[in-house]
Amino acid sequence: MDGSIGIPVVRRDAAAKASGAAQYAADFPHAGTAYAALVTSKVARGRITAIDTMAAEAVPGVQMVLTHHSLNEGLGKETFAMKGGHMQSSFMPLTSDEVHYAGQIVCLLIADTQEAAEQAAGLVAVEYATEHASAAMDDPGHEEEPMEKKAIDVGDALAAFAAADVSVDATYLTPAQHHNPIELYAATCAWRDGKLLVNTPSQWVKGKQAALAEIFGIPMEDVHIESPYIGGGFGSKATLLAHTVLVAMAARRLGRPVKLVVPREAMFTVGSFRPATRSRVRLGAKKDGTLTAVLHDEVGQSAVIDHVAFPATEVTARMYASPNIRTRQATIATDVNTPGFQRAPAEAPGFFGFESAVDELAIKLGMDPVELRVRNEPERDPVKGLAWSSRSLVPCFRRGAELFGWSKRNPEVGSMTTPDGLLIGMGCATATYPSAMAPSSARVRLSADGTCVVYCGAHDLGTGAYTVLGQVAADVLGVPDELVRVHLGDSTLPSGPVAGGSITTGSSGAAVHMAALAVRDRLLAAAGDGNPAGWSLAGGQVIGPDGHGRPVAEVVGAVTGGVIEETADWKPDALSDDQMRAGLAGGMAFAGPTTEKHASYSFGAQFAEVHVDPLLRTVRVARMVGVFACGRIINPRTARSNLAGGMVWGASFALLEESQVDRPRARFANTDLAGYHISTNADIGEVVVETIHEDDLVVNPIGAKAVGEIGIVGMNAAIANAVYHATGTRVRKTPILVEDLL
Amino acid sequence: MQPFTYLRPASLDEALHAASEPGTSVLAGGTTMVDLMRGGLAWPTRLLDISHLPGLADVQTDGPVLRFGALARMADVAENETLQRAYPALVESLQLAASQQLRNAATLGGNILQRTRCPYFRNGVSDCNKRVPGSGCSAVDGEDREMALFGTSESCLANYPGDWGTALAAFDTAVELRSAAGLRTVKFSEFHLPYGEDPAAETVLRPGEIVTAITVRATPAGRASTYLKVRDRQSYAYALVSAAVALEMEGDMVTSARVSLGGVASKPWRSPEAEAALTGRRLSEAVSLEAGEAAFKGAKPRRQNAFKIELGRRVVARAALTAAKRI
Ligand SMILES: Cc1cc2nc3c(=O)[nH]c(=O)nc-3n(C[C@H](O)[C@H](O)[C@H](O)COP(=O)(O)OP(=O)(O)OC[C@H]3O[C@@H](n4cnc5c(N)ncnc54)[C@H](O)[C@@H]3O)c2cc1C
Repeated sequence: MDGSIGIPVVRRDAAAKASGAAQYAADFPHAGTAYAALVTSKVARGRITAIDTMAAEAVPGVQMVLTHHSLNEGLGKETFAMKGGHMQSSFMPLTSDEVHYAGQIVCLLIADTQEAAEQAAGLVAVEYATEHASAAMDDPGHEEEPMEKKAIDVGDALAAFAAADVSVDATYLTPAQHHNPIELYAATCAWRDGKLLVNTPSQWVKGKQAALAEIFGIPMEDVHIESPYIGGGFGSKATLLAHTVLVAMAARRLGRPVKLVVPREAMFTVGSFRPATRSRVRLGAKKDGTLTAVLHDEVGQSAVIDHVAFPATEVTARMYASPNIRTRQATIATDVNTPGFQRAPAEAPGFFGFESAVDELAIKLGMDPVELRVRNEPERDPVKGLAWSSRSLVPCFRRGAELFGWSKRNPEVGSMTTPDGLLIGMGCATATYPSAMAPSSARVRLSADGTCVVYCGAHDLGTGAYTVLGQVAADVLGVPDELVRVHLGDSTLPSGPVAGGSITTGSSGAAVHMAALAVRDRLLAAAGDGNPAGWSLAGGQVIGPDGHGRPVAEVVGAVTGGVIEETADWKPDALSDDQMRAGLAGGMAFAGPTTEKHASYSFGAQFAEVHVDPLLRTVRVARMVGVFACGRIINPRTARSNLAGGMVWGASFALLEESQVDRPRARFANTDLAGYHISTNADIGEVVVETIHEDDLVVNPIGAKAVGEIGIVGMNAAIANAVYHATGTRVRKTPILVEDLL
Repeated sequence: MQPFTYLRPASLDEALHAASEPGTSVLAGGTTMVDLMRGGLAWPTRLLDISHLPGLADVQTDGPVLRFGALARMADVAENETLQRAYPALVESLQLAASQQLRNAATLGGNILQRTRCPYFRNGVSDCNKRVPGSGCSAVDGEDREMALFGTSESCLANYPGDWGTALAAFDTAVELRSAAGLRTVKFSEFHLPYGEDPAAETVLRPGEIVTAITVRATPAGRASTYLKVRDRQSYAYALVSAAVALEMEGDMVTSARVSLGGVASKPWRSPEAEAALTGRRLSEAVSLEAGEAAFKGAKPRRQNAFKIELGRRVVARAALTAAKRI
């Protein structure tokens, strides 16, 4: 079958996953494995005054108990990912008696069986000297910490806002949320001859390799991270989590492989989460809807132990044309585990407020919300005047409106009902996501048996990278899909970037493309006895100047060794060679979304129809339509899955997801999947996704912009806007719950 | 979790004998029990698996008394055609509970013994009088959106989460309990205990007793019945508020009404107030809303859960109107 770019090739990993053959991190067996269990802190802040492990140690089969008393090993310094390192947090549990957040690891038990380890964990008695703690941004007493460097000012937005014909000034809240991938965090660590093998689900094998080498003071090549499959990551499995270090250390001390699978409840505190946000949005416009002032002040929840921010304002500032723009960013430190990346980390919460405010403005203007957005479409990036590498937001809105049937919407609130009497609400919103790029290596091998193998240390989180990266090679080399193999998720492979920021297809795809071109050049040269002139590739044949073809496999077979293999290092233009080398060695090296000349973003228009029970006030998402422009779509099937999945997540964001905070004790309260609600199939009606093709060769040689995260951005606002249309109630926070509409 | 002995008796007699040993817990479908053990909320030293015992899964839906063997599976009973026709409230309470996978495994006996979903109880860490008597109730000053409005005390605000139990409360239901000493029958309304001083005591089930059957006295009100459940998501979530309503009517006049409430009380909650507000009245939207209002007269709201009073009023009203359409 043709497996080149643009074909909806079925995911290469689909059968293995559906049949259970795919091995996830916790499925790799190691002889003599010992099992770990965690004890986590009951209190959110204070000191451990006593920790009694006697009873735990007495449990038959217990091999080791690690506490801050016993973890006296000198570890190499590794920093927090946001400070240039690879760790999820700069705080390392078990290094002192300090407690900084509820659910912090205070003891690790290792035993011959999982059961013994868990039993022992239940017998550890910890006493604390507790201090006052707060895990919620809006608890009393918190102060905002402004981030001056993130301020954006164009024109005089305050004056323009004050003078505006029509204005909106409103504040919107989004709560803390957790990734809750189905696959739990897991780590199996095995030392052999001073070398460390780690099976852990990873969105960044190279970064974890670099970090563990640093921490244990061994060369990078002595650390091997294996992560072929990931059962959902959403950002939670990118940085190195502290428990992986502890497990590796325990394994070294014990001289046995040690395995830890983190229980669901601890998933809320041993990794990261999406922090709460508060957005004040002020928009000013002329009577005809032309924006005159755009102001967005965002405050994000941060942690006392680490300062972190995910500023949406850098994106919202560039959304619409306005001569006056002002954004401010601040954080509030709380007693929580360090927040981190979660799918569309900045954009999903930030756009809830921003795109809700645009809807509020449309209503005040008496203007169609689609037309308001179209009216304010910027020719160039409104902040720096950069050219867009491509921007097809208006075509997305036009096509989306058509698919959705927007013209049938009666703008009057509560005016539309279903035949069985439910209130219909229709809303829309803009979605966008930056198209950043990162350096990547890739190797492509063509063999005499006709196979084409792609090797790349990139990651497939269930997103389709196995499939898509193979298509990029197949496209260049004309190899049928059955003969394409792809290897990902292993630190011994040519270096791939972190699977974050929706960069994998563009960045690793560009590297695969480059390597495949090099293979093709050698193939043609081999066919022409050193002179490729006049030779070309078509239909699995190498065609000579005389028009005669020879099968690719035959030409490869004639080459010494019977394979043609090339490795390529690709980097975005804006990065230097040094930056590329640092990136390929496991560093974080991003270029974009804005460079000196261009601003590169994916764009989309999203529409939602909700049905609201007029008596009970329950909301159901009946329909979602999303039309996106993300450059060139390598595989329409996997792109659709990502975009639709993002929209489903957006619906979940709008109506369900919240990590509730037990304020008096500063703990996350609903720490299981019964309490932390994510959408079920029953919550989601029809989902329609389309993409609009763009030729964007600025962003990378294969023209692929960000697909992975944009689907979620704006969907929450589209639903909130639809809820308003149905009910007349403007809910300025998520999740929108039944009590908000009663 | 602690080590335990797994027992698989061959007969009910053998099971009853084994159940009388201290430290024994019964395992039926295991959907609650395994969770409790893994979460450190139950720590039996002996686990008595009764799931395979013969005769305990029989269901009889003809005659003056409906009889549900304790081991009947939720999914199977939800498909019982007589029940679907004559007692839709019972069927709906099963269909709207948990997920299909859970319903395939879960038994009716185990269902009425499920424990609260209060996060402070479940998380194994927070102070909770149910888990560690005397430690305090974290919900008193904590997250209380899901807490109960009825039957609570300052030592426990937790909610009874079951749907089937709520629907059963609207009927004349009884529970058959067997032990080595013999059989006793307890009215369902007396099976669960409201929370007093000791919220760890949830039912009158005694150590060594096994639930063998649940019985419901046949009633024509079963036909005009419904179970309405409002929850945050459309599937796989517990009730914020639910109501079972069963009516007997002459024309549009309600001659007898049965109303029970879920998601709002420490145990399956019958509402004689709502029943009185419906009985002898011509059913209309206004009357149904009055009944809803009456149902929540004695509610004791906390900070976040007061909305359940307004929501509950509407749930009862909608359920009454739906039930009436089934006459
Ligand atoms: C994720 C999840 C979601 C759920 N959602 C819902 C919901 O929406 N609505 C709802 O109503 N329920 C819900 N449930 C609860 C579910 O219905 C119960 O777990 C189930 O009915 C229990 O039955 P079981 O046979 O599995 O009981 P088990 O787990 O085997 O036992 C439960 C308890 O009853 C005891 N027991 C069981 N059978 C007997 C007997 N015959 N005699 C004496 N003691 C006995 C056990 O010792 C144990 O204490 C949910 C459960 C889960 C896990």
